[in-house]
Amino acid sequence: MSDFARQQADFQRGILTGDDAVLTEILDSPREKRETLYGVYRFAYGSRLVEAMRNDHELLHLYLGDETFDEMGHAYVKARPSEHPNLRWFTQGLPEFLRDAEPYCNHPALSDLAALEKALNDAFDAAEGPVLELTAMSAFAPEAWPDLKFQPHPSAARLDLSTNASAIWLALKNDETPPDAAALDEPSRLLIWRQEVTPMFRELPTEEAMMWDEAANGIPFGVLCEMLATYDDPDSAAARGAGYLHGWITSGLLTAVSA
Amino acid sequence: MNVASRLPNPPAALAERPMQSARESVKPPFLGFGLGLRHQHYDEILNGNPDIDWFEVISENYMLPGGQPLRTLDRICERYPVVMHGVSLSIASTAPPNFGYLQGLKDLAERVEPKWISDHLCWTGVHGKNLHDLLPIPYTNEALDHVVSRVQLVQDFLGRAIVLENVSTYIQFNNSEMTEWEFLSELSRRSGCWLLFDINNVYVSAFNHGYDPLAFLNGIPPDRVVQFHMAGHSHMGTHIIDTHDHPVCEDVWDLYVAAIKRFGRVSTMIERDDNIPPLDELLLEVNRTREIAERVLPQAGKPAG
Repeated sequence: MSDFARQQADFQRGILTGDDAVLTEILDSPREKRETLYGVYRFAYGSRLVEAMRNDHELLHLYLGDETFDEMGHAYVKARPSEHPNLRWFTQGLPEFLRDAEPYCNHPALSDLAALEKALNDAFDAAEGPVLELTAMSAFAPEAWPDLKFQPHPSAARLDLSTNASAIWLALKNDETPPDAAALDEPSRLLIWRQEVTPMFRELPTEEAMMWDEAANGIPFGVLCEMLATYDDPDSAAARGAGYLHGWITSGLLTAVSA
Repeated sequence: MNVASRLPNPPAALAERPMQSARESVKPPFLGFGLGLRHQHYDEILNGNPDIDWFEVISENYMLPGGQPLRTLDRICERYPVVMHGVSLSIASTAPPNFGYLQGLKDLAERVEPKWISDHLCWTGVHGKNLHDLLPIPYTNEALDHVVSRVQLVQDFLGRAIVLENVSTYIQFNNSEMTEWEFLSELSRRSGCWLLFDINNVYVSAFNHGYDPLAFLNGIPPDRVVQFHMAGHSHMGTHIIDTHDHPVCEDVWDLYVAAIKRFGRVSTMIERDDNIPPLDELLLEVNRTREIAERVLPQAGKPAG
């Protein structure tokens, strides 16, 4: 290893772990000791990353308050140093961290709230894609419908939450007192996407969530309707399927349909 | 994650390109007096067409799949000259080059068609980590050789000469063999890169290390500087921290006058990174950069073409 490479490794280790070895290679300034000057880099490292976390997770920050959020943020910075050149992706692992790490794992609404914010952030700058228009559907003869397959918009994603985090999110967003965190008997099934430039989410009934997941897997409309028939009244299954589909198209959730 | 390791044989891919002679590259044009684009001002800029000659955009803010940031950038590019300014090139890092990052930068440049692409003379991490800071280097011959070869590699990959900025530093290494301005001058001469002279950073580093900012200024070859940054900082008494979150201070305005006298007509912009004020407030500073340049160099006011 070159001396330059060795020195960079020491400099970085001093910031990440508090190791002081690199101080022997740093000069005091005319007015200040090297420990203080090097300390500027040590302090800036954690505070810059926690600031990025505050920006990405505005409502989790609001929910936890400055002190608890920053303590959590510094724990995350320590546990998962950034490995991507773009700060945009630094907080991607936060939901997982909160789900697994003490003491946050004892409060599953925190991981869920972070997961919802992450999903909305991801929808915000997700890839562009055409938005399927209702008029495109009229091109298909009725007998072609059972074979139709649908392609979700690149910004669309599904998220299942085990807590009432979406209600907490909504209250925080509206400057209201959030409800007490609570586990749900049935998971809350969310669909997240971007409409024009605005990230959106909506909670899906169990049946619609099933149909969306299967449609996103390339299952054709005819089979989707057969699946719906096992969920509820078989006679109205096709109409329910067409209803869900209509809602997806008018919300800009689909990018293409093919026979 | 080592992005470079996922790409097939990057040296071979590079060898297929004709070597671009960055040292012979044409000096970027004078753009006039500009501002760093910040999302807080998107609406005001798009609805008001403010009198700003050009914008500098932070490359990483737009190295994204899609959505509002890129759509807005496209609209800004239709109306104003734009230059790209990155924070993660990590040109002085001893880690392997990150070809995934470079490809992202090149893709964005194809979309933006920037007048030039700049980053900083610094490193941001090694061993797969990114500290998201502009970290200092020792001014040694070993470091110079390394950075020269890295700049050449990046310029070959991007197919254009890049522009590098002096950063604010808080420490100096005891193994430095030359001054920062000697290092920058030699780097520019050997690699063909142009220089972005951050006047606030010169002021900050000069104070922190106890030298005369004019020594720095007079040590940089006048024909290599293509851009000035003007910014503010936080004074801690014994040292200055470059926060870029305050108005430009009077000492830095004085240094700007000295810089214009040495470097002549140079594209200049106000760079505010935090504590973003209303656009009007920053426009006052942009106008002051223009007024001072017109006073010091009567022919300096209008961008060419």
